[in-house]
Order: sequence, then structure tokens, then C-alpha cells
Amino acid sequence: MKKKLLSIVLVSAMTLSLVACGSSAVSGVSQDQQGSDAQQTTADTAAETTGEGSGSDLNVMLETPVESLDPQQATDGTSFEVIADYTDGLMQMDADGQAVNALAESVDVADDGLTYTFHIRKDANWSNGEPVTAADFVFAWQRAVDPEVASEYSFMFSDIGQIVNAQDIIDGKKDKAELGVTAVDDKTLEVKLNCPVSYFLSLMYFPTFYPVNEAFFEKCSDNFATSPETTLSNGAFILDEYQPAATAIHLTKNDTYYDADTVKLPGLSYQVIQDSQQALMSYQNGDLDTTLVNGEQVDQVKDDPAFTAIGAGYLWYISPNMRDVKELQNLNIRLALTMALNREAITTDVLKDGSAPTYTGVPMDFAAGPDGSDFSADQKKFEDVCRYDADKAVEYWNKGLEELGATSITLTMIHDADDAPIKVAQVVKEQLETTLPGLTVELQQMPKKERVERMQEADFELGLTRWGPDYADPMTYLGMWITNNPNNYGFWSNAEYDKIISDCTTGEIAMDPEARWAALYDAEKIAMDDAVIFPLYTQCNAELISTNVSGIEFHPVALNRVYKRAVKN
Amino acid sequence: MRKYILKRVVTALFTLLAITLILFILMQLMPGSPFNDEKLNEAQRASLYAKYGLDQPIIIQFFKYVGNMFRGDLGVSYKISKNTPITQLIATRLPISIGVGFAAVLIGAVVGLLLGLLAAFKHDTVWDTLATIISVIGVSVPSYVFALALSYQFGFKLKWFPMLFSAKDVLGSSVLPSISLSMFTMASIARFTRSEMIEVLGSDYMLLAESKGLSGKKLVFSHALRNALIPIITVLAPLVVDLMTGSLVVEKIFSIPGVGSLLVNAIQSNDYNVVIALSFIYSAMYIGIMLVVDIMYGIIDPRIRVAKEGD
Amino acid sequence: MSNESAVLNQNEYIPTDADFVLKKNNADIEVDSNFASQSFWKEVIARFIRKRSAVFGLVFVLIITFFAFVGPGMNAYTYSGQNLEQKNLAPRIPIIEYTGLFDGHENINTTSGTKTVNYYFEKKLPDTFYWFGSDNFGRDIWTRTWSGAQVSLIIAVAAAIIDMIIGMSYGLISGYFGGKVDMVMQRILEIANGIPRLVIVTLLLLVFKPGMITIIIALMLTEWVGMSRIARAEMLKLKEQEFVLASRTLGAGSMHIIFSEILPNIIGPIITQVMFSIPTAIFTEAFLSFVGLGIPVPRCSLGSLISEGFNSFTTHPYQIIPPIIVMALLMLSFNLVADGLREALDPKLKEM
Repeated sequence: MKKKLLSIVLVSAMTLSLVACGSSAVSGVSQDQQGSDAQQTTADTAAETTGEGSGSDLNVMLETPVESLDPQQATDGTSFEVIADYTDGLMQMDADGQAVNALAESVDVADDGLTYTFHIRKDANWSNGEPVTAADFVFAWQRAVDPEVASEYSFMFSDIGQIVNAQDIIDGKKDKAELGVTAVDDKTLEVKLNCPVSYFLSLMYFPTFYPVNEAFFEKCSDNFATSPETTLSNGAFILDEYQPAATAIHLTKNDTYYDADTVKLPGLSYQVIQDSQQALMSYQNGDLDTTLVNGEQVDQVKDDPAFTAIGAGYLWYISPNMRDVKELQNLNIRLALTMALNREAITTDVLKDGSAPTYTGVPMDFAAGPDGSDFSADQKKFEDVCRYDADKAVEYWNKGLEELGATSITLTMIHDADDAPIKVAQVVKEQLETTLPGLTVELQQMPKKERVERMQEADFELGLTRWGPDYADPMTYLGMWITNNPNNYGFWSNAEYDKIISDCTTGEIAMDPEARWAALYDAEKIAMDDAVIFPLYTQCNAELISTNVSGIEFHPVALNRVYKRAVKN
Repeated sequence: MRKYILKRVVTALFTLLAITLILFILMQLMPGSPFNDEKLNEAQRASLYAKYGLDQPIIIQFFKYVGNMFRGDLGVSYKISKNTPITQLIATRLPISIGVGFAAVLIGAVVGLLLGLLAAFKHDTVWDTLATIISVIGVSVPSYVFALALSYQFGFKLKWFPMLFSAKDVLGSSVLPSISLSMFTMASIARFTRSEMIEVLGSDYMLLAESKGLSGKKLVFSHALRNALIPIITVLAPLVVDLMTGSLVVEKIFSIPGVGSLLVNAIQSNDYNVVIALSFIYSAMYIGIMLVVDIMYGIIDPRIRVAKEGD
Repeated sequence: MSNESAVLNQNEYIPTDADFVLKKNNADIEVDSNFASQSFWKEVIARFIRKRSAVFGLVFVLIITFFAFVGPGMNAYTYSGQNLEQKNLAPRIPIIEYTGLFDGHENINTTSGTKTVNYYFEKKLPDTFYWFGSDNFGRDIWTRTWSGAQVSLIIAVAAAIIDMIIGMSYGLISGYFGGKVDMVMQRILEIANGIPRLVIVTLLLLVFKPGMITIIIALMLTEWVGMSRIARAEMLKLKEQEFVLASRTLGAGSMHIIFSEILPNIIGPIITQVMFSIPTAIFTEAFLSFVGLGIPVPRCSLGSLISEGFNSFTTHPYQIIPPIIVMALLMLSFNLVADGLREALDPKLKEM
């Protein structure tokens, strides 16, 4: 179902690019990427070129261990980050999150946008001395769509990347050799697409698209990417200390890297710390150069110059189940609930990590329109239906109760058993109960996996959930609320809304960025007027970055942190 | 004796088999699956299920699993460390956990014993009170609070020991976790030793030994201690197992790459194979310890051996 | 005729004082047995009272229990009532505040130096008092500590009592019947015991809806084994004794013998075991809270309060101290009471 959505979106993006960028795909990428740029945060963009990196490693805290260093198997941010430390793709992210040439020296894009020809750098080598060849990409990409490998991110090739035959191979209908990617010669890679994909080059920095050396892979067989000996580097660093699910990972600068001059750090040292108290103390002790800070600890560090809030891209919201819960089918009740929420208090008094209160269905700072402005910059555009107003909330509430013929309502809210959701859920409960007379909110916490399953099966009343953007277009959010989308947790259905979304993807306005933008706004308005979700806030992470460290690049999508240009004095 | 041990080992194996089956059934009941990420669609989930054989009936899964287990194959992890053979995951982690755990038992048993002896011999003096207070704190405060306090005081303030586990300094960085873990064991042993010793010291045979003119040291070690040891071992065995529980939390706090933290992560991410494998190992260790304790009884107290053999 | 009547008269029984009569002394017998049991329990109590530490423990258990049920009602706050305006306030107690202690000031160790603040003044709250301070949601820690103690106590006591009933019955039945029944029951027990406690508890909590009842069931499931072992051992000791034989000869059923004849004789060790399993249950619950499987928010237990306070330990240490102290005292007291009880019930261990 998600696939369908993605392909719809893809088509829309494709049409957008046709209009916007003509034959130059590279400028098309930058156009498409602009939205997300606004959110890129850089610890200190002024990449100081003060001499060669002085002797010591950068010590970084990780919240969770690496799940897999196999680029085609990894799915989580931690794994992506570490893989990207020692592997380059055809493209890499720059400080602003734009795709820039990495292993690819140049790219030729056919005028119809259906064929990409990548010319791989002559000086790109694996750490065992072998050159990086086009065949390495072909091998890796065929693995990614191979049903036997069952890569979770195969949809990056089919739905999002639209590479020829990818879908059929994933479905087992065609052999993986038929994938639309060929090694023309050692250093030339040709990719064929089903239809033009405006952001195709920006996918190239996504680790699922990274190359794997076939000979080396065969040699490692089942143990590929489970130890330093079974990984090959072609990037800024070389992995030299790792074991599966390790709590400590170490990488050393790769001197044979083609761009080794840019790399200032002699090494990179990761430490998994699951207890936030230990993490902060280690930072204070000087054992860490950067660490995540828990909400409670912000009081302790908020005056510190090293303290920063980094955009994480997620929109947190409450989804009401409108299919099975008759109280929540009532619009007045839903409006009352969303108006009774004091989002400001949640972010400033409880989370304290810089998260921003959000009153729109699409979060701020990630999708820029044709004129370059943020789709959700105006947080007051839906203030008739989404704001904090206790009096109005009570008014709607009483009206709703009257319509239902009830005097009191009890609702259960399910949420993840993690730190932030537990806190938010408690405040939400309190805010709703104190504002709305006769309402009781019961909380049920559970592991995330279980919560997702229950929401997808409509086995809930209210659900606290979050969604991270997959690409820089409002559609990554708006597409969720079309009828029968599995992530349309409210089971909401609106014919007009569905029509706008389909018009924006395949219809006439899909060709017209401005009209499409306006139509997307209309769609969002329909959803907001109907209180399909109660948006809460856009997530930020509070971090401490030691003042003698600069140049760590933060991104809300794909590679969360890039250290290639980091400097530690 | 050999026949007895053999019999016990065979029963233990069957018990383990039954435990594995129960774990399988429990896994089946567990809500969620390792593959229900929001970003996955139905078809992908189905293919992942097929890949790992999770689409087959549980009983087939079980027999396959047991079959593989006899060949030393515990399957692969689905989630926390994708496709890594669990044997490989455990190979590096189990020694670390056992090391820290063993250090904790050792510290706990030795210090506990000493404290208990001190309290018993200096009965009703300041020493007794002091030993009692220490042991009381040990049983009253959870180990993760000790972990926090020790790491704050000795790791952060005084910087005597590292706060986090480090492969480069295994010994130094194991000090704080081992001590935090040992507190409960130490306290329990101290209390128990004290009361056992007081009882033994007041017994008739001790009076007899004393009147025979045995010297202090010999009296304590060959008569009193040996008799007090049996009940102490009895309490030590379950304490060792409790230690495993504590280790789950302490490993998380000190970032120790052991099996305890692995198990917690696996449970939270529905990584069935890892949960089953680790639970199995914990069970095997537990049953193993119980077996050893039973055999040790036999060595310390021949009467039990005779009784058990007749069982 | 007269003779006949005389004979008849003679045959007719004339009660005399010298006759044996039914004494109708049921009341006396009961008095007797009452007296007998009273004297046993009296002796136990006397021995218990003689042990100072046990009395101390008992007093603390009572005090904490008292506060656990009365404490939350002693001020206007509720355990879940939030006031984000008044979050993270340090302890402040009327009158005592003039001594300079508990006047609402706190020293915050920030990364850029230590600062002393008194938010009560900064936020202009002259008449606001949080005796133990307030937490990060502006909830009263006094109220939460005691209601947490209440939850912990209820969970622990309920789990201990239920596991006593189940474990005891299981052990008694297994021990009494012996043979094949015993063999099968012991194997089952071995399996149940072989699965690590935390694994079984965690899995149960994931399978069932989290909440107090589930936690109680989970704790009970892991604790009954120890109880049944003790009950079985006692049963093996007692079942060959004369009074059991007598009862059986008189035609008493097995269940009657187990529960009416033997049970009263082993109640001592059982109660001691219950007292020991209460602190274990409190501890286990605390561990569950720490791995995120404890009582669902906003309800709290001592364990969940400690794990909540864990994150602000270096920022606002006063938030973690009350639950730790109450928990430590509770653990200690139950252990002392259990120790005292064991010694009181088992005179062999006395006079140490």
C-alpha cells in the first residue's frame, strides 16, 4: 500500500522535475532538495581549515547499537551513519544536505530523464587496493532487489527509484540480472528508469545504493560486514574495531581515500550508551565530544555554549480511530480534543529539547514550494481548527457530548514505552482531562512494534505516533491520509481529499507546480478541518557538541551525521 | 555418584527441551513481529517471514530449531544485528558477562563471608553493627542505584575507574559494574554467614572441639566454617541466578557488551531467535549451576550424597 | 405383679450422681486448644518482641504502610495532578524552612558552574509548599512517593499471598501424594523454575495488557516455586507422623488431612517465606520499571519513581532520594521482620 503511495508520489515528483529542470538533472536535484536544506543544521558550517587535524579521535555517543553494516540490509539511522563513514556512494551529502559528486566524477542524464550514466572516479579504490568499478554497483544493486536477500529497503529501487524491472525482480517475476543497471565498462555505470525521477541523484547517497565488491563479498560469504576484516572501505575512514551489535566502534582515517586531504580527523570512536546519565557524565569527563541530552538534563546544560538543538524531522501527532470509536467519529469531539492541547507547554516545559509546536498536518522546515518558501512556515493557517483554546475546546466538547447524548467519555491512548512518548502522553492526558469536563484518558504503553501493529489493525482509540519524511515533498505526509493507506491510522476517508491527492500526482495540476502547491494546501485544509490528526510537535534532539569540535554535519534524512569535514582542535 | 550425576544430567536435558518449547509458544503469543516497521508493506513482510521460515507452523519451526541446535546452530538474529549467527553474537559476549558475573560472585562471596565471620566473632560489638549495616544496605537498595552512585562517585567525581566498559581496559572498567552487582550477593551471604556461624559456634561439637584444645584457626576453618558452608552454598546458588537478572540492568548502565543487554534489546525488538537462544542459555546456566550445587553438597556433606543416590 | 413391677422398676434406670455422664465439655476442649495455641503464639510473640531489630522492622513496616495509605491524602496534591508552572521545585516544608533546610533552594551543577536557586521566590510562590519537592511535571513528590509505596506494597503483598496459596497447595499436594504424582509435579516445577525469572516476567508483560494485575500475576508466577519447595519439604517431614496416621485411620480424606491437619502445623515456615518474598517482589517490580515494563504511567511505584528520577539524578537529586529511602527502609524492615519471625517460630535458631 505504501508502495502505491510512493509510486504516486514519484510520478508527481517526476512531472515536477520535468517542468522545473528540463535537461539538467543536477539543478533539478538542488531544486528538489531545497526544502530539506532549510532544516539542515550544521554544528559549525565554517569548516575551518586550521591546519591538519591535531592528533585525537572524535568521540561520539550512539544511542543504539548498529543493526547491520551490510549496506543492502541496514535500515536504521545508526547503521547508515557508520556505513557512510567508511563507504562513499556515487553521490554524497554536502553540508546543506545536497547531493554532490562523490565516487561519480560526472553524470550524464539523457534528455528524457530515463537514462543516467555515471562516470566513476579513476582514483576511487577499495581499501584492499582494488579499484571501485561499475560492476561493484551492479552487484550491490542486484543484491538489494534480490528476493532471496529480502532487503527491507528494496522499495528505494522500485517505488522511489523506479529502476527498470526492479519491481518485477522483487516480486520474483524476473531474474535479478534483468535490473536496469549495467556496467558499460569498468568505470561507467548506466542506469535505466521507468520514468524520470527528479531526485534520483539524491538517492545515490542513500546507503542502500552503495557499492559492494563481489569478489570480496564471496570471500567473506556469510560473514560479510560482521567484523573489520569482512568490510571494505572506499570512504573517508576505515573500520578497524567492530563486532556485531558492538557497544564500541572505531574507525581510522583512510589515507588512500581520494579526498583524504579534506578529512581532518585521525579517527572516529563510537560508544553506545543507553543510559543518558552516564552519557552526560562521560561528556563532562571529556570521554565524549558529542552526546545527546535528555530533557531533564537540559536544565543543567542550557547555558552551555556547547548546547544545540538539532532538527530530527519527525512530526509527532495523535491519531484518533474514526472507524470503530463512535465518540471519535464526532467532529466536535475531535476539534475539542485538538484545541485542548497546549503544545507550547509540551515542548517548552516537558521536552525542552528545542522541539517546535506544530499546528499543521505537514511539519515545518522540510518541504519548500515553487517560490522557495516552506510549505508549513505559516503555523497559523489552520488556527480556526487547530490551536490551543481551552474555552473553545469546552464549547466544542459540550456540543459534541450533546450530539452523542453522553455526559462523560473514556478514551484509551496507546503510546510507545520510550522516554519522550511516555512524558508527552502524560501531559496530554492531564491537559485533556483538566480542560474537558467528563473526559477520562487512560494510557497504555507498549513497545513500538506492538503499537504500530495495533494502530494498523485499528485496535486502539487514540494513538500517539510519529512520522519521518522520506523525501522533501508535503506528499510524504499528505499521501498517508488517502483512503485505505495502511498508515492512515484514523481510517478516515474523504472523496474530495483523495481526488486532490490523485490530481496532484497524476492529474493535470501535477504538471503545474504552483497549482499543485495550492491544491496540496487545499487537501491539507480538508484534513485539518476534519481533525484527522492532532499534530503536536516537530522533533528536535538536544545535543552537546564540545566547543573545540566543528564541522559535524547534521541531516534529518538518510545520513544523520557526517564527519568527513569535522575538525577537533 | 556417577549414576546419580548421569541421571541428573539427562533430566536436565529434557527440562531444557521443554523450556525451549515453552519459549517458542511464548514467542508466538508475543504481540508485534520483528518486521512490522511502518515503512514495510505486506508483500515485503511476507517475503521476510518466508526468508526466515517464520511462516511455517510453530511445531515445524520448533523441530527445525532443535535439530539445528544439536548441530550448534542457534539461528540468526532478525533485527538487533541482522543475519548475524547468534552463536557469533554470543561468542564474544558471553565471556564478558560471565567474567563480570564471576567477579561479582567472587567479591560478593568473599567479602560477604568475611563480613559475616567478623560479625559472628565480634558478636554484639561495633564490628557486628557495622557489618550488619553494610549488609542491610546491600539487600535494601537495587543494584542499578549502586551502579549510578558508584559511577557518579568513583567514575565521575574521583575518576578512579572508567565509567563505561572498555575493551582496552577490561579489568579496570569491570570494577564498578562488578561491585554494583556484588552488593546483593555480598549482603545476603554476610547475613547468612553471621547467623550460621553463631549457631555453629554455639553448638555442642564446637564446645567439644574447643575443650579438646584445638587452636583458633583450625577450629574456625576445619570445624565451624565447614559446617556453616553447606547452607551458605544453598543460598549462593539462587543468588548467582539473581545476578543474571541484575546484570541485565547493570550491563545497560555501564554499556557492557554482554548477553544481558543483548537480551533486553532483543525482547524489545521482537528478535525471537535471540530471545529464545539467550533464554535457553540462561536456563542452561541455571540448571547447570543447580547441578553443580547438588554435586558440591555431596562433596561437602557425604550424608546428602547417600540420601540422594537412594532417590 | 408387684414383683414384676419391682423388677420392672429395677430395670428402669434411675440416674445417680455416681453415674458416668457426657461431660458436654466441648467448650472446655476448645478453651483448652485455644489456650494451647495461644501459648504457642504467645511464645512466638514474646520471642519476636525480644528481638529488637524485628520490632524495629515491624514498626517501620507499619509506619510506611500508614503513610502509603494516608500520606497521599495529607496535602491537596494528587499523584497525577500536573502543574507545569511549578515543575522541578526543591523540597520546602513550612516552619522548618526558617532553619535554612528545606526552604526550597537547590544547588544546580550546570556544566558552566554551580548555581543556587530558589524557584519559589523566582516564580513568586510564597505560599506554595512541596514537602519533598515537585517533579518535572510539577507533581508533588510527597504524594507520589507514598502512592508509589502504596502500589509497591499492594503488588508485593498480593503477589506474595497468591503465590503462597498456589505454591503451598502445589507443594503440599506433591509432597503428600508422593510417587508418580510427585515425580510429574516436580518435573513441571523444574521446568517452570528453569526459565529465567526476568525472561518469563518480561514475556508475560508483553503478552498481556500492562497493569497492576499483570505485574502481580507475573511476580506470582516466578515466586511460587520457592514456596512450594518449602511446603513440600515440610509435608515430607510431617506426613509420616502419628497424628496424620490417626486422622487417616479415622477415614479423613486426603484434602482434609492436607489442609486441616498438616497445614496448621507448617504455617510458621510459610509465613516466614511470605515475609521474605515481599521484599523480593518489591525488588523485581523495581527492575521491571527500570527496563520500562513497570506500572503504566501516570501511576507510579517506588521502582518507577526511582527510574524516573534516574535521569535527573545529577540535575535535581532531591527527586530520586525519597523513593530510594522509602524503598530501602521497606526492604530492610520486611527483611528484619522476616528474620525475627523465622527465629521466633523456630526456637532452635534462638539466642544468638
